[in-house]
Amino acid sequence: MKKILTIPVFAVLMIFMMSFQSENGDSLLGIWEPSNGRARVKIEKIGNKYYGKIVWLIEPNDPETGKPKTDTNNPDESLRSVPLKGYRMLKDFEYKGDNEWEDGTIYDPLTGNTYNCTIKMKDKNTLDIRGYIGISTFGRTDVWKRLEMPKK
Amino acid sequence: MRIQRIGWALVVACCFAGPGMMAQVDTLVEEEEDYSMYDNLDFADGGAKNFCSNKILGLSPAKLISIGYDLQLGYDLQTDTLRDALPETVPFSRTGGLRLAANIPVISRNDFILQVGANYWESTYTAADAAAIQHPLGQNLAQNGLRTTGLNTTIFKPFDDTRFVVVQASADLNGDYAFSDIMPLEYLKYSAAALYGKRPSDNKQWAVGVARTYRVGEMNYIPIVLFNYTDAANKWGTEILFPARAHVRRTFSPRQMMFAGYELEGQSYRLTRGPFAEDDLEIRRGELRFRLVYEQSVYNFIWISAQAGYRVNYSYNVDELTDGNEFFRGFFGDQPYVMENTLTNPFYFQISLNLVSP
Repeated sequence: MKKILTIPVFAVLMIFMMSFQSENGDSLLGIWEPSNGRARVKIEKIGNKYYGKIVWLIEPNDPETGKPKTDTNNPDESLRSVPLKGYRMLKDFEYKGDNEWEDGTIYDPLTGNTYNCTIKMKDKNTLDIRGYIGISTFGRTDVWKRLEMPKK
Repeated sequence: MRIQRIGWALVVACCFAGPGMMAQVDTLVEEEEDYSMYDNLDFADGGAKNFCSNKILGLSPAKLISIGYDLQLGYDLQTDTLRDALPETVPFSRTGGLRLAANIPVISRNDFILQVGANYWESTYTAADAAAIQHPLGQNLAQNGLRTTGLNTTIFKPFDDTRFVVVQASADLNGDYAFSDIMPLEYLKYSAAALYGKRPSDNKQWAVGVARTYRVGEMNYIPIVLFNYTDAANKWGTEILFPARAHVRRTFSPRQMMFAGYELEGQSYRLTRGPFAEDDLEIRRGELRFRLVYEQSVYNFIWISAQAGYRVNYSYNVDELTDGNEFFRGFFGDQPYVMENTLTNPFYFQISLNLVSP
């Protein structure tokens, strides 16, 4: 009887341990603002990876057309009509432990460039987001701050 | 047995808990949601200190690594007398050479940027008939050319969301040396600049400061003004660091732009070889380059830069130093030059491949 129970219970425990480990990575979830204050990005978890989409823009409409901004600088012409709000600019981040998420990319709508990217959580409300080309040396770090609903 | 089945059922249930948990994400944009809920949010830690960027919107990308070639078409060097050498007109059919540069951001945070760079420029002087040159300066240039090898560093420190300082320093070894017989480091030329400025909006930044520079050929202290601007449509702008360079920018797309303007280039080159081995002479070379520059991304972060323009000589005089000690003449000093040479002005071309910064 003991043996019969041991295998599945052990498996359940392993799964709970794994899910606990990934919950550490879930501290990344939430709304964040880059240092330039021009956008707000909601980081979500899909599968075991983390994605960030633009949910707010300081200038939501194109000053020339008055219509909601789209990804006009995308090198792929077929994507230039995609609205910036809702655009996933952070993609494919995996939690590697020690408050670091790696193997992802960051897209800069201002230039249409996609960079390799790592995220390091300095404290629970501050992220160091480093975009780079190929190797981390050729990069730039931006500090993002966590946003929350106003306290009543 | 039944208990075992229940146990495995639990495992399976846990594995598939959360519908769509393992769904693939291929689309860039999710379904519509009410984004107005993100309009009024507060910083979780009660307020963050924002720092202004070192760039403005639309500014041309900084070059991390650059490999280029500079070519001046034919012109004449009119040399002055030097000891028993008589004045001579030396025709050079072309002048130019490699231009390599690397600028690596060692620390790059939004509250502090430290960049370290290195550069190597060479000027090879090609004469139509080198054997016919009589003047030792013309002979030396045709045989050895001039080189610049330097290190530099730039610090950008923002104080808040508008105010910043920039400090820049460089050390360059300039002369007719070969790498097999390099000049002593005591002849390094030091340049520096410090600027204080503001970035009142994402489209504009300005700064004022002072520089110790060799851009006019000899060491000088000059006021400098930075003014970068991009219009709201990101079609036109300026990139100015006066008096070193000033350009109007036309942006066709973030990956394709054109510039019209000028750059003031110069250095003080020590003559160490041949007939000058025992002398203490330096060429004070300064030139204005009026130019059109076209830059475009050719593959991701690899940009090509092509420029064409007209080189106008500002100075090609020669000073004699005492034991290599630099002196300050400025714009109003009356210390005489050992040689007052003149150059006619040619068209020039430059092309480079560049790895640009994020």
